Amino acid sequence: MSDAAMPKEQTLHDLYRDHRGWLEGWLRRRMGNGCDAADLSQDTFLRVLASSQRIADLQEPRAYLLTVGKRLLSNFYQRRSLEQAYLAALASMPEDCAPSPEQRWLLLETLQALDELLDGLPRAVRRAFLWSQLEGLNYQQIAERLRVSERTIKRYMAQAYEHCLLVEL
Amino acid sequence: MNSQSSSDPRQAVRAAAQWLALLESGGANEQDRANLQRWRDTCASHEQAWQKAQALRQRFADLPSALALSSLDRPDPGRRAVLKRALGAVALVPTAWLISRQLPLDVWRADLHTATGERKKVQLADGSSLQLNTASAVDVDVQNRRVKLIEGELSLKVPGIAPLTIQTKFGNVILSQSEVCVRQEAWGCRVSVFNGSVQLQPLHGAALALREGQQVSLEAAGVGAITPFDALAPGWREGVLMAKNQLLGDFLRELGTYRPGVLRWEPELETLRVTGSFRLDDTDRVLALLAASLPLEVHSRTRYWVTLLPRKNSV
Repeated sequence: MSDAAMPKEQTLHDLYRDHRGWLEGWLRRRMGNGCDAADLSQDTFLRVLASSQRIADLQEPRAYLLTVGKRLLSNFYQRRSLEQAYLAALASMPEDCAPSPEQRWLLLETLQALDELLDGLPRAVRRAFLWSQLEGLNYQQIAERLRVSERTIKRYMAQAYEHCLLVEL
Repeated sequence: MNSQSSSDPRQAVRAAAQWLALLESGGANEQDRANLQRWRDTCASHEQAWQKAQALRQRFADLPSALALSSLDRPDPGRRAVLKRALGAVALVPTAWLISRQLPLDVWRADLHTATGERKKVQLADGSSLQLNTASAVDVDVQNRRVKLIEGELSLKVPGIAPLTIQTKFGNVILSQSEVCVRQEAWGCRVSVFNGSVQLQPLHGAALALREGQQVSLEAAGVGAITPFDALAPGWREGVLMAKNQLLGDFLRELGTYRPGVLRWEPELETLRVTGSFRLDDTDRVLALLAASLPLEVHSRTRYWVTLLPRKNSV
């Protein structure tokens, strides 16, 4: 049987067998934690399995795995920092204002999706956008807070809208 | 404002973003508004981009603002920037599967819903009793004698003669003086009769009857084969998860539906076998029990993120 005709699972199996230890070692050195590294290396292979990339066509499998692995690693830190901020905010809320336990997880998932959506925006643009959407500040108020002109805020907002909408195209 | 006609979705999105910012800035006059309307009418892709922008705003408007703000506007941009440089990752494109996992809005609008890990039992006005399993939602319309299963799994017991209809995406279940469980998934619906008999109306094909101790799948393409099941074994309605020499992978997939967050395991654990009766109200304890009886250990990465690993020192 030629490589091209092989079922995807078979070649994934080979990829896993040949490179998993290496990838996990790389992640372990970055993260300083064997369990997290094992998790992320597994995620990486799952992501490869889910992608449309033909495994048999990979010229440099390790470079490809590393690209996917790096992206997941960054994602992992981002999700963790969001979760920490979220739990801290929950803990500091008065009991009767906090969402019910049943909504907390769904809310966290939504926030993580939006956090990803906003990822890549410059800090000031992101803040202007969040203040507008979540606090309902008008452009003048945001301009005062950020000490820039209203015209700049208008540009920031257009940039943020465009960024989010492009991601979802 | 650039309002030329174009069917390029990228340009449409850019124009929609600029229109929205202009409107929100408070600087738009009557002429601008008229131009916006004309732009929206010019091309379907314009209107689509405009609607998407509105939907984006709505997603933020639906959030509890204080909580969302402290989470999304958290103060650690420096560390993240450093990290990104270290990784050499310039443009991190969000992955589609995360974007698609939004709050399921139609679940909130449902009359009744349960969160992951939650179960609920209610008595309906006509004396019927309705139970919802984890992560489920229904619309109850007692007047029209209709229960719509939007998501998840329900159990319905109708003691009276007047029939009640359970509507699913894959067909209807009509019952009176009987008791049934219906579980809806993306691929279809599994209907199990615990008491009496029920009528099934699949989307296509003839109606059929299902008796106590029988179950069947309703799918978009038709009806699966009728198979027997043990109607007396305790299940989620009693708060119990039973396993009889079950593959651990299958067991964990089921258990995972009762746990908020991520539960995952190494592939080599998939084929271990598990037998037992577990209480659903404390799934952490179920995991601890598994770790005590099988060669695996539980690693909690965060509160919502648990991984099962093969036990290393098992000799």
